[in-house]
Amino acid sequence: MSAIEIQNRLPVASPAEVRRALMRLFAADKGRAVQILVLYVLAAALSVAVPVLLGHVVDGIRAGWTVGRINLVCGLIVVCVAVQFVLSRLGRRAGYRFGERAAARLREGVVGRVLGLPLDRVEQAGRGDLGTRTASDVNTVADLLRYSGPTIATAFIEVIALYVATFAVDPLLGLCSLLTLPLLLLTARRYLRRAGEMFRGERAAMSEAAETLTASGTGARTVAALALQQERRSMGYRRAETMYEWFMRVLGLQNEFFLALLWLNRIQLVLVIAAAGWWALQGGMSLGTAVAAITLTVRIANPTNTVMAQLNGFQQGTAALARIEGVNRVATARREAVPNGTEVRLDAVTFGYDGGPDVLHGLNLHPAPGERLAVVGPSGAGKSTIARLLAGIDRPRTGSATFGGVPVCDIGVEELRRHVVLVTQEHYVFAATLRDNLMLAAPEAGDALLEAALRRVDAEWALTEGLDTMLGDEHRRLSTAEAQQIALARVVVADPDVVILDEATAGIDPARAGKVESALAAALEGRTVITIAHQLQAARSADRIAVVEAGRIAEEGTHEDLLAANGVYAGLWRAWQGNRARHFAG
Amino acid sequence: MHPIPPPTARRLLVDHARPHARRIAIGVLMYLSAGALSMSQLWMLGRIIDEGIIARDARAFAFWLALMLFAVIVQPLFWSVGFRLFVGAEAENQRAMLRRLTDHLNTAATGVRGRISAGELVNLSSEDTRKAAGSVSEIGFFFNNFAMFIVGSVLVWSIHPLLGIVVIAGSALTALVIGPLLGRLQRRQADYRKMIGDLTAHAADIVGGLRVLRGIGGDLLFADRYRERSAALQRTGYRVANSISWIHALQYSLPIVFVAAITWTGALLAADRTITIGGLASAFSFATVFIAVSGGLIGTASVLVASRVAAGRIARFLAIETDVDDGGTVRGAGGELSDPDTGLVVPPGGLTVVVTAETACALEACERLARYRDSEAAWGTKPLSAYALDEVRERIMLLTDEDHLFAGTLRTTLRAEPNEALAAIETACAHDVYTGLGATLEAHVAEGGRNLSGGQRQRLRLARALAAGPEVLLAVEPTSAVDSHTESLIAERVAATRAMKSTLVVTTSPLWLARADRVAWMAEGKVHATGTHAELVADPAYRTLTSHGAD
Repeated sequence: MSAIEIQNRLPVASPAEVRRALMRLFAADKGRAVQILVLYVLAAALSVAVPVLLGHVVDGIRAGWTVGRINLVCGLIVVCVAVQFVLSRLGRRAGYRFGERAAARLREGVVGRVLGLPLDRVEQAGRGDLGTRTASDVNTVADLLRYSGPTIATAFIEVIALYVATFAVDPLLGLCSLLTLPLLLLTARRYLRRAGEMFRGERAAMSEAAETLTASGTGARTVAALALQQERRSMGYRRAETMYEWFMRVLGLQNEFFLALLWLNRIQLVLVIAAAGWWALQGGMSLGTAVAAITLTVRIANPTNTVMAQLNGFQQGTAALARIEGVNRVATARREAVPNGTEVRLDAVTFGYDGGPDVLHGLNLHPAPGERLAVVGPSGAGKSTIARLLAGIDRPRTGSATFGGVPVCDIGVEELRRHVVLVTQEHYVFAATLRDNLMLAAPEAGDALLEAALRRVDAEWALTEGLDTMLGDEHRRLSTAEAQQIALARVVVADPDVVILDEATAGIDPARAGKVESALAAALEGRTVITIAHQLQAARSADRIAVVEAGRIAEEGTHEDLLAANGVYAGLWRAWQGNRARHFAG
Repeated sequence: MHPIPPPTARRLLVDHARPHARRIAIGVLMYLSAGALSMSQLWMLGRIIDEGIIARDARAFAFWLALMLFAVIVQPLFWSVGFRLFVGAEAENQRAMLRRLTDHLNTAATGVRGRISAGELVNLSSEDTRKAAGSVSEIGFFFNNFAMFIVGSVLVWSIHPLLGIVVIAGSALTALVIGPLLGRLQRRQADYRKMIGDLTAHAADIVGGLRVLRGIGGDLLFADRYRERSAALQRTGYRVANSISWIHALQYSLPIVFVAAITWTGALLAADRTITIGGLASAFSFATVFIAVSGGLIGTASVLVASRVAAGRIARFLAIETDVDDGGTVRGAGGELSDPDTGLVVPPGGLTVVVTAETACALEACERLARYRDSEAAWGTKPLSAYALDEVRERIMLLTDEDHLFAGTLRTTLRAEPNEALAAIETACAHDVYTGLGATLEAHVAEGGRNLSGGQRQRLRLARALAAGPEVLLAVEPTSAVDSHTESLIAERVAATRAMKSTLVVTTSPLWLARADRVAWMAEGKVHATGTHAELVADPAYRTLTSHGAD
């Protein structure tokens, strides 16, 4: 991965920002949060009452309680457990629901923000990064909020209640039970410091292995064609080995952590037994108190282990939240300019990507309103960059890209798209009905309008299958050509003043491309249409042709002008038509 | 490669556990010892109270305490050795499964095309292997918990049979009540999980089509729809929270109920002097620890079910067989390649161009000629299927846009001596790929050529095919993403460098046709006419097709 790719990643929130984000999630539902806390504390207190009451029973038996009295206290224990069960259930339900609401707020928030991100920023960062943040990161945090969060909270409160109860039974024994706590905290910290890296390493090794095997599978024919079996085998085995090594490293870490937990849990118990027994032997403590303290300490292990086991999930959850909050930190420029007129133009623009060298050098392009302008030239000449500047995705370094007299980049997105639409060869089909896929620009459009648009782009198949057809990989998978037709039909529905087609018909069969193009031209009659192509078929019928070479306009004029000028275009055209010329000449 | 019959899910798990039998046996012993020691500590607790504290015997107190401390120190060591053995076996198991998947991809070869999606392959090699391999260590945990349960029950029984009955009945009740409830919950949650998956997919859809949504519109529409579905998910989540809170509360409270039952029973027995106070404290502690044990046993059951399901998916993948029969034996020979289905013929030597409006038909014909589909195609006088498959693969190469660029360097991609590799780059006009990556053959090519543009990928694939120098090259639209100027150069160079070999190109570009020795015009899935371009161009339909409407 290059330095530029990393530099362009979306930001990640700092720990302080993550804490604030968590606080905001709680503050948004404050009343409920308090209510849940109260329920958790009451449930924990009642469950802790069981060993405390056991201590009383022990002293009672020694003091010669009647069976009736014992039954009474034991009955009280059962009542405590029953009430505890009800409170625990109510608390959990409220906790899970709280998590569900917080998760919903979180995901709706992030999707809302993603829809408002500046496009150039999104494209620099790559879809993968943003996709991970809105999909798996949101799910990780949601799971934390829904279940692990409440589970950690209940267990944590129970641990505190148990320590408090031990103190209440006997303060000195309470102190004794705290002796192992610093070691426990150190163990947890040491584990957490290394766990993140280990689990990330393991996951990365796993996804590399998956990528390698998936490549072998999707490239099966290439493997067969080039006899790559041995290489794919050794590559797969290498990935398996790396994964094994990470697995063993994680194993080492977990083994160390669990070993420490097992020791600390039971050493704490031995310490409390030793102290309680010593005092009881000295006669400074009743047997019941000693038994209560000991059985309380036996209980501490379970919730402590629950908290410890969830630590890593908690850490992963906060890391995911940091990435989600990072989306918040992307600066969104205010775009408020209002265009006056429908003229789009580039004046003396220079532009380069990511601090790289200029790819456009003082380029001018003035399509007249209603004109059909073709931009042609070799690959890498800067044609697509021109399209991006005209569409307001990128901002020129110097010079200006304007629509209606104001910089395209300053016009609000919603305003701009009513006037200027860019269609590229990257055509996206949503997993939604054909109708939803078409009416993006005009939610109020009727079926008749949509069907007319489909007819314009020669999409008979779509008319046959109907507007209610579900599209997308899981339902109806579209070919490249069909997806392009959908993209073009969207433009017909949108009906903007300026349409920029960047290789928009590249995937359509040559026999049909011409037909689609002429139908589209008819549909866009009176609009400014800028067609960008590396092949020449689209150029000839245009009102004007601009030839781009190495970031500059090399020639401009009608087809006939350019042929007469006998320059770059004429050369290209002859290459294109050379054989025909030869045929007619011979 | 030996053909191994595809296993069943159970067979797969057993086969992969078998090499670790010794390790598992020792691990089970370790876990059993650890479990027994853990439980005996609680029994010693009773002795400490009875013989030490109540009897006011400092020596007995010190003795039992020292013994307990010893058990406390040693028990985790047993556990740790067992853990290492089991999880180590799991790690090796996972490695073995990944290796098996890797080998099977080679065995099934092109048979996997269309039989398994990229997404399924990702899951197979990550989550499914992980879950299936995890069955080994889960069985270890089972033995650990099982030992704790048995030893604990026996020790409680030794305190008093009635307490033993309560403990065993209580554990059984917990497992019987919570186990099925959890099963039902998991089924109910399947819908909920699916909704989460759908919503996630919806978010991914929004991100994927972000440019369209912002460039054309629909962002508000999609945001609204997302919010609607998010709210629906929240409502379902509420319902799930309703039932799951019951189950989790039961899971948590049922063991406490049975701690209370033990306490009550034990207290009455102790009042009766049938058991000692130490026995009561021990029984109470056992009951407390059994909470974790019964939870562990229930967990094991659901993990093993998941392992089984994952192993089933792996087994299904291992059952996929190769789609091209490798029974041929002929080597050498060769000659004219012909496809009776379409009437397409590739004579030895020279450039043949196939002109058609239906690229898919031409592609299928090429797949038959390169033996990626079994057919009646012939090579010289013999059927193509009579030739050894590796011989066909070496001598006939198909080039399409579907060809994969594997992660590696330019050198490993082109698989040729440096001068040949550079010559192939030159012929394919891929010099910009070479210089763009730093003008070295050691430059990195990302998986699928993701660090290259579409046009660059296409030319690099062409360069790779040229570098392989096959006797017959069947190229389908090899220059569709290339500008006219470059396309013209490529056609010229390919025709020149491969003059002595056979090359077939499916295209309607006049730039290729200008170099063609021979043109086959296909219409409606059959070769309609053959001849030189100059001869065919007299036909208006052919002219329309090859002049891109620029009349």
